[in-house]
Amino acid sequence: MADLRAAGATGATARVTRSRDDRFARLLIITGAAILAVVAMAALAAPLLSSWGATEIDPAATLAAPGGAHPLGTDTNGMDVWSRVLYAARLDLGIAVAAVALAVLVGTLLGLVAGYLGGWLDDVLMRVVDIFQAFPTFILALAVAALLGNGTVNLIITIAAVNAPAYARLVRAEVRTQRELPFVDAAVTSGASTVGVLWRHLLPNSLTPVRVIAPLNCGWAMLTLAGLSFLGLGVSIPEAEWGAMISLGAADVVGGRWWTSVPPGLALFVSVLGFSLLGEGLQERANAKRR
Amino acid sequence: MLSIENLSVLIHRADRQVAALTDVTFAVRPGEVVGLVGESGGGKSMVARAVVGLLPTGAQATGQVRFGDADVLRMDPAALAAHRGRGAAICFQNPRGALSPTRTVGRQLSDRLVTHQEMSPRRAREAARELFEAVGIRSPQRRLDAYPHELSGGMAQRVMISLATGCAPGLLIADEPTTGLDVTLTREILRQFRHAADVDGRSVLLISHDLASIAEICDRVVVLYAGTVVEAGPAGQIFAEPAHPYTRALLRSVPDVGGRPVVATPGAMPLLQRAPRHCPFAARCAHADDTCTTRRPPATPMAGRRTDEWSLACFHPQSGPVAPAVEPAERSTASPTPAPVAGDAAVPGPAVLEIDDVHVVYRSRFGSGGHHALRGVSLRLAPGETLGVVGESGCGKSTLAKLIMGLVAPTSGTVSVAGQSLVRQPGRPTPRGRALRRLRTRAQFVFQDPIGSLSPRRRVGDSIAEPLRAAGLSAAQRQARVAAVLDRMELDRSILRRYPHELSGGQAQRVGIARALVGEPDLIVFDEPTSALDVTVQAQILAVIADVTADTDRASVFISHDLATVRGFADRVAVLYLGRVVEEGPVDVVFDSPRHPYTRALLASAARLGGEPTSGAAAVELVRELEEGDAATGCALAARCPFVTDTCRSQPQHLQPYGASRAACWRIPELDALIGKQAATP
Repeated sequence: MADLRAAGATGATARVTRSRDDRFARLLIITGAAILAVVAMAALAAPLLSSWGATEIDPAATLAAPGGAHPLGTDTNGMDVWSRVLYAARLDLGIAVAAVALAVLVGTLLGLVAGYLGGWLDDVLMRVVDIFQAFPTFILALAVAALLGNGTVNLIITIAAVNAPAYARLVRAEVRTQRELPFVDAAVTSGASTVGVLWRHLLPNSLTPVRVIAPLNCGWAMLTLAGLSFLGLGVSIPEAEWGAMISLGAADVVGGRWWTSVPPGLALFVSVLGFSLLGEGLQERANAKRR
Repeated sequence: MLSIENLSVLIHRADRQVAALTDVTFAVRPGEVVGLVGESGGGKSMVARAVVGLLPTGAQATGQVRFGDADVLRMDPAALAAHRGRGAAICFQNPRGALSPTRTVGRQLSDRLVTHQEMSPRRAREAARELFEAVGIRSPQRRLDAYPHELSGGMAQRVMISLATGCAPGLLIADEPTTGLDVTLTREILRQFRHAADVDGRSVLLISHDLASIAEICDRVVVLYAGTVVEAGPAGQIFAEPAHPYTRALLRSVPDVGGRPVVATPGAMPLLQRAPRHCPFAARCAHADDTCTTRRPPATPMAGRRTDEWSLACFHPQSGPVAPAVEPAERSTASPTPAPVAGDAAVPGPAVLEIDDVHVVYRSRFGSGGHHALRGVSLRLAPGETLGVVGESGCGKSTLAKLIMGLVAPTSGTVSVAGQSLVRQPGRPTPRGRALRRLRTRAQFVFQDPIGSLSPRRRVGDSIAEPLRAAGLSAAQRQARVAAVLDRMELDRSILRRYPHELSGGQAQRVGIARALVGEPDLIVFDEPTSALDVTVQAQILAVIADVTADTDRASVFISHDLATVRGFADRVAVLYLGRVVEEGPVDVVFDSPRHPYTRALLASAARLGGEPTSGAAAVELVRELEEGDAATGCALAARCPFVTDTCRSQPQHLQPYGASRAACWRIPELDALIGKQAATP
């Protein structure tokens, strides 16, 4: 009865750890959400937290060290680093969240249609998704960014295009399992139209994995945005954006002037951490529920 | 062998606690088969878990589970491991889920023998072959190298039994071993347990929700209700004249093939937070009085019996048989449909459902071949009529249901509902768009899985109103119609705002029926609507369905693997075997004088209250379990029929009139003589 014993042992541990997992998940979610809340508040309250504007130049101070009128010093252009870090949060958070929202919208729609209707439509859509996914994420982002050019809207489209295929796959897989369940047959035999089945029955039941992945994805999206900007394909100076700021300040580090690149780097790190913790927590909670 | 004394199990959960078992006391002696009976939530599986020391974490057990000289509840891990290997072994309910899918079954068995019996691998493989043979697996040598997915359900359960018996345990525990198996198989599997007790002298604890099916092979039965033992005693006598009102309710809830009406007991088993202080069944009991609601009845021996012989926990023991069988004549007068004249295919009048020579072949996606699910089925249903469709798993019941609902298209032949086609069929116009959606709502479906057929993230109210959307009714009209069906299903309005997972099985199935009824369809197809429900709840739902099928303006199709449920309210019955209708006729005629050997075998293996032979016609026992590759050209039953001839194997059989019913077997005129001859030469 070796199998039996093994099954019994895992069953027992699963139950012991369930409540602990639950508590752990809650801790992750709360920490992640708190970090993001602080970042978002700082972004909104930027004018109150700093007396300098995002692109305001202090002609008296170029590359000034932290202290005095500039708590985090100034960069090569004489702009206040502290206020730029704050204002940049608006752009970084905004673009990341908007891009992921767009990716979720487009990906879910494609996944729903492909998964439910199947056939040649599914084949065509999924091959397109394959092509998108075959490129390394960053190369694809570079290509799309280069094609569309700079600008906030184009950046959102670029990052969404990179991420949408994953949602399409995720939702399609979920729909393919769900559509075999009796409630779908029940809806069809009750005279629901195809759109009705998709919208009212399959969509709400296929979104669980999306809810878990989307926050994690926001973190990745931020990194992609910062990376693009760092390479000069995203937001460009003088606009305040963390990746662009790091890029601008990179050269100063050699000269010992760390304050132009380290603060935006830290801000990026903390925000991505916030999204990651939130996403991990949601995932843990989903797993705990499934057991 | 096993002696359980005052076993109580409290389970502490984060949000609540559950009194799973309260003062359970009973024993299993060597060589004895004891049945543990009750509905889900009664604590049957918890007893099994306690016996093998697998109580869930958070469970606090008091009392004793004595096995041999030791108390299982106080064993250290090493002693428990030995106890589970050699002392007590479990066969699980879902054999295919309990077998590892990526290893051959022979390997799984021989590994176990190597570990626990310290055999050499060669010797273990030989022993495994012998064990397979002992549980009745045909060509065991070949089966050793099979993977679980290559086995049928019955075969997998046999493998499971061989796994459990392989290490020669003193006690064999079988947790619902035949749930999900066909009637003919159920008997064979249950006999394996009797065999283990009689031949090998093992003790067997047989857990089941169905007292009728196990009564025959058990020595004694223990009936559990809400974690307490309500009655324990000799199987035959308890089955014939149970004394506890719950045992009686349990038996009365199960329809039997004799046509005895089902008596539903209202309510459902309570989920207890703490050990009950009064009789847990009092709230549902017709005999309950003030004593029952203030004190818990102790287990006391029946008059003139010892406690370990026949005991029960009730202040008002009952006596006498549960319900006398009903004379067939009493029923047939109530049947409103004239028996269809055999051979007369063109019965006048409009048909609600017309199926004409339909074949359905599921093509496999890769390569050629496929599964021939229906082979030339023709059925016709007039308004107000109820057709019962009976058959074992794999006979094409579900395909037939999907065909009627337009979820599957016929490969050849035609289907029409209310004269129109629901799916694209060659040479026939198919409605599209809104017209098709409206037409779809003319035929409604009640599913086997009541909760799974409701959209998990939509409120119940939405689900019920779904068919009304296609009809384009306004929100107010929809609300009124929904309210009307809720009343008919005796459901509270508050249920409309709930989600499916918050419903009990019985409530969910009422919701399912409400959804089917709300659009006032011409046809309702019930696909095994009660097989996922508990016995007493089943009876409640059957009562609701009987009421619904009695409506004269609507036809119904009731699909079931269980003959007895169909008998209750069908006008006609069709017996399906491997995609063919082998017998069809008025329900009483088919049940009282079955023609086809397969129908006779089905009726013979159906368990029945009182245990008397099932019907006037002599019983047929089928030869063996079906294997793949059978049933190609000739009669569908050729591979299993004891009276098979070369003619049967080469010539397909078609429905021929015999009296009021029709059957597809050319030997029917001589069948009674053949059966007599067979019985004479054992």
